[in-house]
This record gives sequence, structure tokens and C-alpha cells, in this order.
Amino acid sequence: MNATALFFVILGLPLATFLLLGISWMLGFSAGEKCIGRTIKTIYSLMFLAFLALSWMLYQDADHSIEIHLGQWFVLDHYEYPMAFQWDAVTMPFAGLTIILSGIVGSFSITYLHRDPGFLRFFLLLVLFSFGALLVFTASSLDLLIAGWELVGITSVMLISFFQYRPEPVRNALRVFATYRVADLFILVSVFLAHQWFGAADWARFREIALDAGVAGVSPAMMTIFPILIVFAASGKSAQGPFCGWLARAMEGPTPSSAIFYGAISVHAGPYLLLRAEPLIRQSPLATGLLCFIGLTTAVLNTMMQRSSSDAKTSLAYASQTQLGIIFVEISLGWHTLALIHVMGHAIVRAMQFLRSPSMLSDYHRLHSGAGGELRATGAHYDRIVPDRWQRILYCFTLFRGFHDALWDRLLIRPMFLIVRLVEKIELSPSKNKTPRRAGTSSPELPVRAKRETI
Amino acid sequence: MNHSEHSHGTACACEHHAAQKSPAALLHHALEHATHYLPAQGPIGVFVHHNTLHAFQHMPFEQAVVKAAEIFDAEPYLSEQTYQEHRQHGRILDQDIDAVLAREPDAVLLGGRLTRRELRRVLLIPGVRRVNHGNLTWQIEEGNFLREFRHDLPPTAARALASDQPDRLWPVCTSRYKVAPVAAPQQPSRPAETVQESHGIALDEVVNPVLVRLVSSYLDQGLAYWPMPDREIGFLGASRALFTSTWLSDWPVLLRGIRGEFERLADQSAQDIVLDLLAGFGVPEQDWEALIRQELLSLPGWAGMIHCLEVDPLLAPHERPSFSLMEFLAVRLILTSVVLKNVTGSITEWRSHPVGAMAYHDPLTHQARLFDACQLLGYHSELLAGLSETEFDELCHELELCNEWERRRLLHLAYELRHERRILIPLSRHCAMPAVVEKSDRLEAQVVFCIDEREESIRRALEEVEPLIETYGAAGFFGCAVDYTGLDDPHGVSLCPVVVKPAHQVAEIAVEEDHSLGHVRQKARRTWAKLTRTASIGSRTLVRGTVSTACLGFLSLFPMAFRILAPLRFARIMEKLNAFFLPEPRTELQFMRNDDESRHATTGLLSGFSIAEMADRVANMLHPMGMTKGHARLVVVLGHGSSSLNNPFVSAYCCGACGGRSGAPNARLFALMANKSEVRTLLRERGIMLPEDTWFIGGYHDTCSDDVELFDTDLMPSSHATDLVKLRGKLDEARARAAHERTRRFESFNNHRSVSAALRHVKERSVHLGEPRPEYGHCTNAVAVVGRRSTTQGLFLDRRAFLVSYDVKNDPEDRYLAAVLGAVIPVCGGINLEYYFSTVDNERYGCGTKLPHNISGLLGVMNGYQGDLRTGLPLQTVEIHEPVRILFVVETTPERVLAVIHANPLLKEFLENRWIRLAAIDPDHGGIQVYRGNGVWEELSGDEEPLPIAKSSIDYYRGKSEHLPLARISPQLLTSA
Repeated sequence: MNATALFFVILGLPLATFLLLGISWMLGFSAGEKCIGRTIKTIYSLMFLAFLALSWMLYQDADHSIEIHLGQWFVLDHYEYPMAFQWDAVTMPFAGLTIILSGIVGSFSITYLHRDPGFLRFFLLLVLFSFGALLVFTASSLDLLIAGWELVGITSVMLISFFQYRPEPVRNALRVFATYRVADLFILVSVFLAHQWFGAADWARFREIALDAGVAGVSPAMMTIFPILIVFAASGKSAQGPFCGWLARAMEGPTPSSAIFYGAISVHAGPYLLLRAEPLIRQSPLATGLLCFIGLTTAVLNTMMQRSSSDAKTSLAYASQTQLGIIFVEISLGWHTLALIHVMGHAIVRAMQFLRSPSMLSDYHRLHSGAGGELRATGAHYDRIVPDRWQRILYCFTLFRGFHDALWDRLLIRPMFLIVRLVEKIELSPSKNKTPRRAGTSSPELPVRAKRETI
Repeated sequence: MNHSEHSHGTACACEHHAAQKSPAALLHHALEHATHYLPAQGPIGVFVHHNTLHAFQHMPFEQAVVKAAEIFDAEPYLSEQTYQEHRQHGRILDQDIDAVLAREPDAVLLGGRLTRRELRRVLLIPGVRRVNHGNLTWQIEEGNFLREFRHDLPPTAARALASDQPDRLWPVCTSRYKVAPVAAPQQPSRPAETVQESHGIALDEVVNPVLVRLVSSYLDQGLAYWPMPDREIGFLGASRALFTSTWLSDWPVLLRGIRGEFERLADQSAQDIVLDLLAGFGVPEQDWEALIRQELLSLPGWAGMIHCLEVDPLLAPHERPSFSLMEFLAVRLILTSVVLKNVTGSITEWRSHPVGAMAYHDPLTHQARLFDACQLLGYHSELLAGLSETEFDELCHELELCNEWERRRLLHLAYELRHERRILIPLSRHCAMPAVVEKSDRLEAQVVFCIDEREESIRRALEEVEPLIETYGAAGFFGCAVDYTGLDDPHGVSLCPVVVKPAHQVAEIAVEEDHSLGHVRQKARRTWAKLTRTASIGSRTLVRGTVSTACLGFLSLFPMAFRILAPLRFARIMEKLNAFFLPEPRTELQFMRNDDESRHATTGLLSGFSIAEMADRVANMLHPMGMTKGHARLVVVLGHGSSSLNNPFVSAYCCGACGGRSGAPNARLFALMANKSEVRTLLRERGIMLPEDTWFIGGYHDTCSDDVELFDTDLMPSSHATDLVKLRGKLDEARARAAHERTRRFESFNNHRSVSAALRHVKERSVHLGEPRPEYGHCTNAVAVVGRRSTTQGLFLDRRAFLVSYDVKNDPEDRYLAAVLGAVIPVCGGINLEYYFSTVDNERYGCGTKLPHNISGLLGVMNGYQGDLRTGLPLQTVEIHEPVRILFVVETTPERVLAVIHANPLLKEFLENRWIRLAAIDPDHGGIQVYRGNGVWEELSGDEEPLPIAKSSIDYYRGKSEHLPLARISPQLLTSA
């Protein structure tokens, strides 16, 4: 089998499964649980075999990089959308992790979601996510990566709102969706700029430019702005820095989706993007500094928030963010091998911890009795080293998650609302008798439940 | 809080004193009343089944469910559609509906043209269509609503309508129907009700997240690494300290001023703050209770948890700061008032916006219902138009009386009636037939199980395997209420029903020879605990987390993959590793009275039992069961529990009679007591003749993995060794068969596979990390039979009946009956009602689907990251439950059982308010009388339900997954025939 065929197995199987299940569902045939379960197990096993074969080929390969060009999807003037993939030492671990963990979580979910009305929907989203994530990790340019990036985002949002009949999951999913949209703006703009400034947006081009910035008339400003955009885009996906508030909200979905998205794969797409853009980031001290700063502050703040979290999944979410912060720092320091190993280890540990989170009660009681009923109290050193007054300030700060939501509320959401209201007023002002009134006070119909996010 | 206090709460007699009380006393009174509506479930580590609507138990069931449905915005019964589906599938018969209607008061309508019964009958058979304001317009414009009459009309009605047209009938319905006036707007009971309408902001969505974070951190039992500061000064103090610590707390837009508000109220007690704010809101005293109740019911899970812990702080497993609902309320009101001020600018303005009943005012639905009813009755347009004003109003009024809830009530009664007849008719047929097993000289063994309905299958299987084994059912703590400390336990736990406080202490210790092994084990456990704790905390922190996830993380892939892909094999290997690293010493129970220790005990518990106390306990269990003579050589007493992984609800599957824990130690203790020769001497004086060669063995049955373990077999005389080997083999066969029977309910197992495959399957369920239904729990409970085993022996009860052994012949004064019913009615009734309510409204009364649950503070589960604690049972536990009130069948005469029940106020309330159903089966001739309330008994008659006969249980159930009717399992009869 050649590499192209193996690529087809890895990328094509999840996509084909998604299309097959999705289309047959739309046509009114719904596959039974047994059939879906077998399909899931089969495709992930096949993908795993293909992964092993590709990795073996990579090992044999002289350049340690397998590239596949399937031509262009479309060409517009100077722009061409490349259908090019590559498999190298960075892709391999990420893709391997995706295949193995999705397979394990998939197998777990076959039992876990048994008889749930959303069984098919869950697996549709899981395979679509796998396809998206693998696209992200195998694409050899930003153009193609974005497609996967968006699929990962949208499946993530749809799994948060998996229990769509309750308002909270939907509301939180919306918030996460909005956060993703804001963060995705950065990556979108960065693609345009890459084409404008560098002529292409593939990894090879990034390396070329990093080696010799003068080559294509790339100015220092370009070399600063572009990496900064990438850093923010990665921060959005990995819940870092300004985007650090959404991960806890994502805990509304079924447990295995929390494991695969927020413990394992989705949040680690950020570091992957950074690793790809690393040569460029390293060229800009500002971007490197920013990356380090974002990682470090997120790690320090989130470890405190983790320590004050009193529920299983939030605690794990903040623990994830903490380690992701450290991974960001490692990348900023240029320790990319360490970062890679850290990503692998962290994804695996966290996925397992999420899957086991319903055990936290019995685990704790077993520990408690194992230790003879006397567990050493945690957090006692805060009492020792932090003065009382500061303890409270710090606790208040962490308990309300750094007032992060309030910050967004004040800086972004409220001004947006004000602008929208203003526009509304201007638009409606000529007809004086049609002044916008809040529904419910005058209308005889059911009151419109206009809900707004606060806090 | 004891039962009577609680249940009479809502009908409190102190109402008329209210006028003379001080505001503080009034407030406490209002708060006390409000607490009755909070869920009574404590920390989830110990799950105690109880009637979800305990606070309404002083009312008749049918009124209580409706009242509660209004207060909690919940469902009182299954949906009308579900009942109609049951009717179509023959689960409800037309004759049941007729029988139910016949018991309801009748009335003559429309000047004799119609009776209420006739009207109601057509509304139930074939039933009305589902129309409402939302879908009606569509039905009219796009559907056939006005184009043709219904197709499922009774023939007479169809004939009467033959010459009429729907679009002629419809205008008559709409034009003549008098639209009821819109209900007058009401004074809102709390701010959130009006602010939503007037300002478009849901107050609860602002207040609840903040409050949930505070209260979950405050109550946390050790999940968070950094405990909340200032917990020792109470919830109010700790919250105040946080909010006033930094200006940042004013930063969220809608919480502006929270710091100032806390500072303003700084030196006031919780009670004064609540009074201050109630006055500030401008709420008059008589409305306090409504406001407090509504505010608390906005987060019922957390409020209920605080209340439970306030009543009994010992429920908290590890951390016990002071628990006070008043402080919770104070913080809640402070938050509410601040947000209210920020939204509306004043904290009194909300009261000036009355809440309209607009949303519920929906005349179109009533008109459509009338239209439907006219078709069902065959009233054509001219007839309807010709009705006089009063007649027309009477018809409309009667239709409104038979609204959706009323129809569901009637259908539910019919549903229960069919269940009753499906149980009682076959039971009476079975009793009329000769016994399945002939009496023999001496039994091979006697096995005592818990009364739990899940034990019914293994009991039947054991009797099928060996007809010379007799089984019994007794409450699973076997009369031994103890505070028990196992070998590995740091402190004692109560192993008895929650209403009992144990007075005796029993501990498990390593035997003399194995002392050193015991030390090795404890040392290894300490090391293991230290390692695991370091690892689990370490993986989440900053520095340690970096080291552990980066360096060691990758290694955890292999156990994780192994565990999820091959759970059973992983569990076996872990068992072996455990046996190697954590060697188990042989143990014994310290249960003999030690007077010296008892005197010095600080716990107030007696250490162990004296001989007389032991004899009491053994006698009190053997007597009611009729085990006074003719004992077998081996008597096995099996406690039960349930093991599963990744399951916060594991305690709900364990033994309810042992307070949601495993009953193994009780069984072991009972056997040890009964084997004491001094005890036997005393028993002989009380008429219990235990032969010299009878030996008791304690054991444990795992209802999830169907493992059976026997204890202290090394103490048994060697003369019994062969008996034990034989019995062990039969128990193994029985548990495998029981497991196979259980798997017929699991969709993921093909029930046609072998018995041993089924045993492996249930074992795998108990060790599978991703299994949301390790077992179905009490999901099939519906009946409780109190009587001799001979009544039910050979009867396939489908694991649906609690079987309580009670021998009426041994109880001339009904002393034991009173004791037995006093225990089993509240316990079985509680389990049954918890399942009922969690089934009819899983989102309100139950805790919804398990899949997104998130453990909070080691106290309970919530959805998402800052939601309310969810109480009740999860969807996965109740999905196959048939919500019927439990039917008690007591083997005695109607007069005797009624006298016993009426003598106990709690039982009387259960029975007379119809929270349970009751029937009596005559011990001599097997005739059955059914209780209809108010002292009325009805003789069971009719024979529409057959009693199928099968050669073995497996022949009867194999391949079927639905609830099965009773059957007679009789190998001999078939072979001889």
C-alpha cells in the first residue's frame, strides 16, 4: 500500500462514515446501535493500522516527511487552495493520539451512551470530529487546516449542547461558540495575511521565511503581526489567556465528549498550530514574549482556580488549562520536543481522568479509608504563607474565576449591545409611533423571553 | 426529623397563633414550612430511598400528586399518550376503565341525555386528540382537523355524524363556547417573577451561579484542594468575608454594590438580615412563606442539602462546618436584592407589576376539546346548536372537569387495576393448585435472603436447582443493628435501617495467627493511599502536574486502553495484583460483650452483644419467619450489596435495610450468634428448637455481579463439609441462572446465549468503567408478598415482588405482623414511591440522565459546572420501571391486617391515603380480598388472567425482555402429565 492510500484510510474512513450515517439518517433509515458500534470499532482499528503503517514508512523515509499533493481544490487569480497533506514527526504523534484516544473513547461511549436517544448523533459528531482533527494535523498549509479547525469547533459546540432540551447546555454552548468565533477571526485574518505577505500559507513556506526574512520582502512588522495572530488563534482553541473562561462551560456534554475534546484532542490543537508556526514565532521577540506571558499567566491563575474548584469536571478543566499554559511556555522557549511529549502525556492522563470523573466519590472514600481515616489536609500552606486578608482576596478572585466573564461582559458584550440598541434606535426613529418597546409589557401575546448573559 | 413531624408540616396546627408571634418567630415558622418542600436526600454516598412527596403524605395520593405537580411544576402521572399506548397494547383493558369509572361518582347531564360516566368513557376510549394552542392553528390550516371527522369514532357516533360536516360543527363549538374571563393578575410572590417580564432579565440566572459557587465550596467535603477560608464562622460569615475582601466583587455589572451591601449588614445575624430584606422588599408577613419557599425552590438541591445537613450534621462524610438554611437564605436574599437594585433601580418596584395568567389562558384548546367530544358523542351541529344555554354550559363545565390531569388520573387507576388483577388472579390460581414441591423429612438446607425483590430470581433458581432447599426473606440487616468497623475501615458505620440508631459496636479484626499479615496489609494500604493521593493531586497542579503528565503520562495509555477495551480481563488482573500487594488476612468479628470497653467508650455504644441480647436478635428473626423447628443441617444467611464502577449512585443499589450499604457483616454476625451454644440454650426456652447438627453460615450476594461469598466456613464442624460442598455447587448454579434471568432485561446481551455467558456478562457490567446501568436496581418493584414461602413457591414473580417471610400460624396475637409491617411498609413503600416519582417526571423528581453528571463536593451530582444538585434517581435506573403503587399482599385475614395497620399512625397514613395498595390472602383457603380504602374490602373475582405453566423459569422467560405475567414453574407436573 502506498502512502496516498493510507492517507485515504485515515482521513477518508471517518468522513465516509459520517456521510454514510448522516445521509442514511436524513433519508429515514437509522442504523441500529449494534451496527454503529461495530462500524466505530472497525474504522478506528483500520485507522490505527494505517497509522502504524504510515509511521513505519515515515521511519524508513529519508526526509522524515511524507508529502501528498492532490492538486488544487480551486484556483482564483493568484490564489490557489492546495489539497496537500503531510506526515512528519509532528503530525505522527498528534494524529496517532487522535486515532487511539478517539477509538478508546468511542469504545467507551458505545456502552456509555447505550439507549440514549442521541446515540447516533453522538457518534456522527465523534467521527466528524476525528475527521476534523486529523485534517488539522495532516494539512500541510493553513488553508486546509482551517477546514479541520472549524469542524473541530462546531462539533465541540454541538456536543456541549448535546442535551438540547435543557436551557443551560444550549446557553453555554452558545457562549463557547461565540468565543470560538472571536478566536477564529485571528486565524482567518492570518491566512489572508500569509497569502498577502508571504505568498503562501504552508509550513514549508513558514520555515523558508523564518530562515531568511528578506527573501520575499517580508518586513519586521509582518513578522510580528502574523505570529501574534497565530498565538491568539491558538489561545482560543486551548482556552488560554483572554479566552480562558470557556472550558468550564463546556462541561455540559456527556462525559466521554468532555474527555476527548477538553481533556485530550481539541484543546491540544492550539499547541499543534503553535508548533507549526514556531519558526515564525521565534523570529519575533514580541510574539514569543506574548506566548510566554499568556502561557505563564494562564498557568498560574488557572492552577489557583483549579485548587478552589469543588466539582470534579471543573477541577479537571482548570487542571487542563494549567498544563496547556505550561505547554505554551515550553513552545515559547523553543523546547518543542518537550512540548510534544508533554502534550501526549497530558492528553492521555486527562482523558482517562475525565472518563473516570464519576468515580471521584468512591475514589476519595477509598483513599480516605486507605489512609486510615486521616488524609492530610490540602491547601494548608496557603494558611502559612499567605496573610489572611490576601487569602480572602485570592480566594474570591479564584472562586469567581478571575471575574473573567464580567470582564468580557463589560468590555465586549455590553458595548456591543449598546451599539446594537443605538443602531436600532436610529433605524426606527423616523416613524415615531413605532418606538421599540420591550415585549411583554404591551403585547397580548406570550411574553418574549429575552435572555441575556450576565456575570 | 421524625416522620410525623415532617408529614404534618404542611397542615401545621400553629397557623392561628401567627398573629401573636414576633417577626423572628414568624420568620422561623415560615422557613420551617418552606423546608417541607425541599428534597430530603442527603449526601449521595449514602442513598436512602424515601417517598419523594413525603411532605404531602398526609394527603390522599391522588390529591397530593396534583398539589405537588402545581408547586413543583412537575408531572403527576405518566403522559396521557403513554397510557393510551398501553391501552392499545392491552396493558390497560376497557373493562379496567369501566371499573374505575364505576367507582367514581356519576351524574346525569343534559337533562338525562348523557351521564358523566358515558362522557368520560368516550374521552378515555378512544380518547381525545392531543391539541393545544401551539399546534391547533397548524392542525386547522394544514391538517385535516376541519376537513373530516375522526376515523376512530364509535359506530353510533359515526352514524349520527354521517350527514354532518366538521366545518359546520366547528363554528357552533367556537361561537357558543363562553370564554372564561382571564384570571385576575396576581401579586408576584418573588422578584424573579416580574423582573423577567418587565426587564427581560432572569434574576435566577444571575443569582444562582454565584450562590452555587459559594455554597458548593462551603459544603465541599474535600474535593477542592484549597478549602474555602473562614468556613468556621458559618456560610454567611464566609461569604461576607469574601465579598468584602476586594473591590473586584463589585466588578460584575449586575452585582455592583454587593460589597457595600454586605458591609451594611455586617454586624447582623442571618435572621436579622432576612427580616431586614423582607421588609426592604415590602413583603407583608403573610406572604413571607411564599417568597421564602419560591426562593429556596429556585435551587432545591442545594437548599435541601443544607437543610438535611442542618438537621443531621453527621450525614456529612468528612467536613462539618455549621450548616444553616437561614444563612443560605440570607446570602440568597442579599444577592437578589443587589441584582434587583441594579436591574430595576429599586428593591420594591417588582411588587407593583402583577403577574398575569396570560400564558395559561387558552380558550382555543377548550373549544377544540369540545369539538372532539361532540364527535365522540355523536353530537352533530344541529343538536349542539339546539342545546339550551344551561345544557351547553353544563357540557362545557363537565368537559373542563375531565381535563387532562383528570383523564390521566383515571387512566392511571385503570393501569394499576390491570396490574393488580395480573398479580392477584394468577396468585389465587396458584394457591388453589397443589404445592409444587412435596414435603420431605428433612430439608437439605435453608437459605435466608433479604426481602429485596432482586433476590426473588435467585431464590426461585435455588429452589428449582434443589427442591429440598427452602428459602426465606427477612429485612437484610437480619435484626442486627450494629455500628460496624471493617478491617479496612477507619471508623464505624451504621448497618441498619436509617430510622434505627445502632447501640452496639462490632469490629472485624485479623485473627491471632494472621496479625502480622494484617499489619503488612495496613502498611501497604497506607503507602498506596499516599501514592495515589500524591499522584491524583499532583497531576492537576502546576509544577507536579508538569512533571507527572510530561514524564509519566504516556505510560498511562496502556492501562487505560486495556481497562476500557477488555474490562473483565483487566479486573481479573487487578484482583491478582491486589491479592499479591494487599494480602488479605483471615478475620474474625469482635462481637462478644466487653463490659470494660463499653463503660469507657466515648461513642456511647455498647461493645458487642451479651448472650441474652444475641438470643433476642436470633429469636426475633426466626420467630416471625416460622423457623422454629425442622431446621436443616445448614442454614445460610445471605446479606446483599452491589458493586459497580464509575457510579455515584452505587449506594442506591445496595441494601436499603442496611442504610444503603452492604449487608454482609450483618449476615456474618447473625450466623456467628446463632451458632453459639449458650444462645441456643436460651432459644430453646423460647420455643425455637435448633437441632445439635444445625450450623449457620453467613454470606454475601452481590446483586450486580451475582457473586456469592460465604464467611467463616473454617469454623464449621468437619461433619458438615460435604453438605457445604454440595450446597456451594447449588448456590453457584442458582446464581448463574439468576444472572441469566437478569440479562433478559439488558438490550446489550443476547438472552439466548448460555447461562455461563450471562454470568460473565453481569460480572463485566460490574467492572466496566463506561456502564451507566451496572444493574437495574429496584427498577421492577411493584408487589410485596408478606407470608409463607409456600404461598409463592414455584411462582415466577419476575423479580417484581419483595418477599417477606411471615408465618401467620406462629403469630396468634399479631405481634410479629405488627413488627414486620412496621418495617416493610415504610421501606418498600419508600423505595416504590421514589421509583414512581422519578419515573413519571424524571427531570423534576428524578435527576435526569446520568451521562452529563458531575460530582460536586463529594455530596451529590449536578449538571454542568454550576448547576443545582440533582436529587432522585437517574433516567438509566428507572427506564423500564412501571410506575404503580406497591401492592402489598399479606397472608392473614383482612380484619387482622387492618387492625395492625390502623394501630400504627404511620402505616395508617400510608394505607388510608392510598400511597400503597393492600390485599389479604387467606392462610387457610387462599381466597383474596382487596382493600379499597375506608375499611372496605372487595372479594377478588373474575378469571380473565391465565396462569401459564412452564417446566422451568428459563423456558418461560428466555428471549423476552418485557415485564412478564406470573407463571407457575412446575417441572414434575409437566413430566407426569
